[in-house]
Amino acid sequence: MSAPSAPRPGPRRAPPDAHPFAVHVRATVVLLVLTILLAGFVYPFFVTAVAQAIDPYAADGSLLYYPNGTVAGSALVAQNLSAPYLFWERPSLTDWNTTLGADTPPGPTDPALQALLNETLQYMREDGGFAVNATLPIWWVTPSASDIDPDLVPQAVLVQVPRVANATNLTIPFLQNLVNEHIQQPILPDLGTAYVDVLELDLALLPLIGK
Amino acid sequence: MFDFASLWDVIVLLGIALALAPAFGSYLGRVYSNRPVVGDTLLNPIEAFIYRLLGTSPRKSMRPGEYMLALLLVNGAMMAFLFFFFAQQGRLPWDPSGAPDMSWSLALHSSASFTTNTDFTHFTNESQMSFASLSVAWPVALFLSAATGLAVFAAMVRGFVRRDGTLGNFYVDIVRSVTRILLPIATLAAIVMVLLGVPQTYTAIVVAHPLTGGTQTIYLGPVASYQSISLLGTNGGGFYSANMASPLANPSAISDLFATFVMMLIPFSTPFAFGQMIRRRSEAWPYFGTILIVFGIAFALFIAYQAASNPFLASINGLGAQTNGYPVGQETRFGLSDASLFQVVSVYGNVGANNMQIGSLSPVAQLVLLFGMFTQSTPGGEGTGFATLLLFSLLGIFVGGLMVGRTPEYLGKKIQTSQVRWAALAVLIHPATILLPFGVAILGHQVDLVGASAGATAHNFTSVLYEFTSESANNGSALSTAQFNDTTVFFNVTGALIMLVGRFVPIYVMLRVGGLFSEQDPLAPNAGTLRTASATFCLYLTLFLIITTALIFLPVMALGPLGQII
Repeated sequence: MSAPSAPRPGPRRAPPDAHPFAVHVRATVVLLVLTILLAGFVYPFFVTAVAQAIDPYAADGSLLYYPNGTVAGSALVAQNLSAPYLFWERPSLTDWNTTLGADTPPGPTDPALQALLNETLQYMREDGGFAVNATLPIWWVTPSASDIDPDLVPQAVLVQVPRVANATNLTIPFLQNLVNEHIQQPILPDLGTAYVDVLELDLALLPLIGK
Repeated sequence: MFDFASLWDVIVLLGIALALAPAFGSYLGRVYSNRPVVGDTLLNPIEAFIYRLLGTSPRKSMRPGEYMLALLLVNGAMMAFLFFFFAQQGRLPWDPSGAPDMSWSLALHSSASFTTNTDFTHFTNESQMSFASLSVAWPVALFLSAATGLAVFAAMVRGFVRRDGTLGNFYVDIVRSVTRILLPIATLAAIVMVLLGVPQTYTAIVVAHPLTGGTQTIYLGPVASYQSISLLGTNGGGFYSANMASPLANPSAISDLFATFVMMLIPFSTPFAFGQMIRRRSEAWPYFGTILIVFGIAFALFIAYQAASNPFLASINGLGAQTNGYPVGQETRFGLSDASLFQVVSVYGNVGANNMQIGSLSPVAQLVLLFGMFTQSTPGGEGTGFATLLLFSLLGIFVGGLMVGRTPEYLGKKIQTSQVRWAALAVLIHPATILLPFGVAILGHQVDLVGASAGATAHNFTSVLYEFTSESANNGSALSTAQFNDTTVFFNVTGALIMLVGRFVPIYVMLRVGGLFSEQDPLAPNAGTLRTASATFCLYLTLFLIITTALIFLPVMALGPLGQII
């Protein structure tokens, strides 16, 4: 802690001359041009060069491929997986159409929210092969923030195992094992949540069911 | 039951960020006081060259009027550049997604939004922003608006240590903000983000073939470099319209925590930059304390209400038990504590990025976020947040000084009627730019608030209130609802005006007040001097801030967020 500085009386400095207006105009133009070059080109180009050298998989968007080399999707973007033989993700208000961005769920006390969740529950039960009044994991039937959340809590993936087993002739223990292998645990306890990237899981499932 | 042990990661992160604040703050202070700092040997010659190109020199110090002129010229030129760029984007190169030209009102809103460090968007990035707009034009504002905020902070604080009426050289402050702070840290942060999984490429579009057939467009680009400067500069714009909720921009809990750290870095360190610049480091602590108290209460309330389940959904049959927080409008990977810390830091630091749907939050959590934008100074945005807190502090010292019969002075400079008038104007312009347009929008039938129930109506009310508040505070976060369409000409033009007034009027006041102090000779401390480097002053300032803010905004807070529960 420094002591308060003592006042320093003395002659005032003469007020400085202002820049002529033309100098301001020149400075503005030069500053804008320099910033466009820096922020629009030099800076992102440099980061891209480094990124492509150190982690090309992430830099290129964590793309996932079919065995034949076609792009199946990105591990970071959910897509429509609503087939009986696949594990499903959380619902998407945009139907996983990335061009639409993210849609807004109804407010917390809006009757439309009750209606939306009831509708989702009904759909998941009917098409998911559950009893009419089955209780489903809450993270599975609620909309996410991005509408392309590819991750699901393990519990919600495991409840789908009987349906997938039914549709694919794979055994329940085998599928449970497959799901468990795909659970991504937090690096340290409670640093984030444990989840399954459903698209990666389904891509691993495809060759096993000959699709 | 809430599991407090699960908070360990956010406590560790807060600990690291807050422990770094004094050291990093003094670095910032040294940069703006032109004292020797790391990197001088490399950067001094480069900066000297840039000053020659600009036609200025660090020895040319400006008075408030000239400083404001330079600031308006640079910001005006940037806004004009952005406006014409966006209005022509469909005809300019690098538009692989086929985004059309923006309408004049949308281009006006967007360019004002980016220039004012708000980054409130009335468009969907993926379909309405060309690749060039996203990766070339917008980042110009991410750098320049952040540098402008820092420059204003530095200029205002110089008023306390100078006595020649000048505040420094705007161009020099901008250049040094970029070369010494924004560019090096943003570059490092962007590289870390890539290692945490964020894309960084010049392939704009990848067409994927989903497992169930059809195609899906995956939008890519220099996301990491964009996002790092957006967060560091408290801009809060998102490369994707889902902002930091998008798994591409924010792939994991760790990237989320890292982003939170990047957002905290400058706003939480600024009090110590102030202490360094005025050469009385102990004066920084009351401000740091005030920020921590308000922020701490906000975070505690936010996480407590997000941990609770929504009683409104209790009647739904078959909804499983809630684990790890309320899931509607939340991403799976973050977890309750990490997601909440990010969101509160983002809004209280006036970044405005979101990693969740703010409209889905519990009403009390919505209120917590609104309160942060009402104060806009705990810690508030880049530079201007702390400058706002200083204005509150001057008002508080003036009022407190009158009450106990002490000379209203601060740091050896007298607080005169003129400074108090200016400070009051800056504090009042905020509610005025929120509540007046709000009244006009409602009375002019520009938005229909009536929903299917009282709760839905209150939610629509909150949504419009949040929009104007976010614009006035230059925050940029949005509480959207399906019913409130803010992309009309009315909301584009009103929004642009609110953002410009909410940005540049307080900036003018900050420079003017700094200038008035800069003209004074310092006084010797005497028995009547209020001791501001004390816990008492910290508590007084905290209560002054909370009470004045609450008094102004209580009615709308009750009608909006809290109305959703009734």
